Amino acid sequence: MNFESSTVRLALKTLAVTVLAVFSAADARGQAPPADAGYPTTGPISGYMDFHFNKPEAGDAVLDFHRFVLIVSHSFTPRIRFVGELELEHAFVEGLEESGEVELEQAYVDFLITRAFNVRGGMLLVPMGIINERHEPPVYQGVERPFVDTFIIPTTWFETGAGVHGELPHGLRYRAYVMAPLNALEFSADEGIRNGRQKGSESNAQHAAFAARTEYAGVQGLTLGASTWSGKSNFLAPRVDTAVRIGEADARYKRDRLELRGVFAQIWITDAARLNETIGQLTGVSPNIARTLRGFYGEADYRVWNAGPARDLVTFARYENFDTQFRMPAGFVPLKQFDRDAWIVGATYYPDPDVAVKIDYVWQRNQSTVVKAPNSFSVGLGWWF
Amino acid sequence: MSTSNAKSAKHIFWVGFLCGLCGLCVLLNAQSPQRRVIRITAERFTFTPSEIVVAPGEEIEFRLRSDDTAHGFRITGTPVNVVIPKRGRAEMSVTFRAGEPGKYTFECSRMCGAGHNFMRGVLVVRDRTSRATGQ
Repeated sequence: MNFESSTVRLALKTLAVTVLAVFSAADARGQAPPADAGYPTTGPISGYMDFHFNKPEAGDAVLDFHRFVLIVSHSFTPRIRFVGELELEHAFVEGLEESGEVELEQAYVDFLITRAFNVRGGMLLVPMGIINERHEPPVYQGVERPFVDTFIIPTTWFETGAGVHGELPHGLRYRAYVMAPLNALEFSADEGIRNGRQKGSESNAQHAAFAARTEYAGVQGLTLGASTWSGKSNFLAPRVDTAVRIGEADARYKRDRLELRGVFAQIWITDAARLNETIGQLTGVSPNIARTLRGFYGEADYRVWNAGPARDLVTFARYENFDTQFRMPAGFVPLKQFDRDAWIVGATYYPDPDVAVKIDYVWQRNQSTVVKAPNSFSVGLGWWF
Repeated sequence: MSTSNAKSAKHIFWVGFLCGLCGLCVLLNAQSPQRRVIRITAERFTFTPSEIVVAPGEEIEFRLRSDDTAHGFRITGTPVNVVIPKRGRAEMSVTFRAGEPGKYTFECSRMCGAGHNFMRGVLVVRDRTSRATGQ
């Protein structure tokens, strides 16, 4: 990696000095690690899997073993821990993403220093939204993840980096990471920034991106979150001044049988006009990348059968609105088929709290009079162990 | 002995018996102070409540339940390390006597998902006067 950027150098120096200072301070206060026996220790393998049956309205039915994820963990000491998550997507890998992917979604070492201040480095999940860090199949409703958590927030979004996290008084939590940036040359009209993820594969770190999230969980049942991402993304096209900024807010509220969720996310891409021109010159096709992308959803879940396993059934309804062409740069016209919204209704049956049998129907619309958004019916089976 | 004297003797006996019983209760109570029950709910990736204040020497009974998968509950530096059964299964109960004043971390000791390492809380042991002044 090339760390020419003064921003990156400054960030890494600050991080290194902070880590040394905190470790020194902890020693000076005589806070020796707890005398727990049994370290080092390696945890048992855990993980999650899900497979789907999808039937689009005007298309062939598809059976897809979507995710096969194994998680390993190791504690060197009570305060130094490793977690790794390896994922096989779509069951088969043949060199191209369409045939499946093997992804290292997480592989980090945590230095647990105090409750309020801990340091983490390696392959990290970007702390953005509800789903990206809570994506085990029994945790969310619907066979597929929400559209907003696919087309606006590109889950599962992971990248190499380092940063700090901790829990403060009054139910506040934070995470703040320095990470490798997105690659703007891979952005697209329909999937936004999704293909710009470098995924820690020899990620270009000419510029640093900053990701941060704060959460408030001071009231029982309520979690409020806000996330941000900011980073220059033009490292392969230095004459374009493209940076990506993301603002996101979310809320979860749970009381008795009812759970409510809401997410709002907006992406700003600077110098999008010249980015389109540059990609057009390189590929011969203008990608029609927007300068602003926006998405939001609201979801209500109700546990209609609440007698515990195996009499556990949740129904849900979710409305989503997502537009990867929300605001275009001057001289570019938005493609209306990418201004989409959807209603998703369905149910999840839990024969065990870690096993989810899901069924849903998606009514999807867009603003185009030419290209129709497909409705679809899906059944899924997901589990955690 | 007259009838009234016999009644008085009975009254004195019962009053004495009740006083003795009350005294015994007070004595027993003084010998084993009441155990405080604290209920904690575990859910990916939080404990609720995640900050608990107890007095030195206080005996605590943690009643632990999960709202999703099985979690662990470990108080670092102590022998307390139990598995909290999955949602809808039994409640786990574990007792703990608070030791020296200080802050003790409790955490999930069973891998529960991507945010497992975030799942931590703090048990603050301090005397009642400082507890009364707030945290």
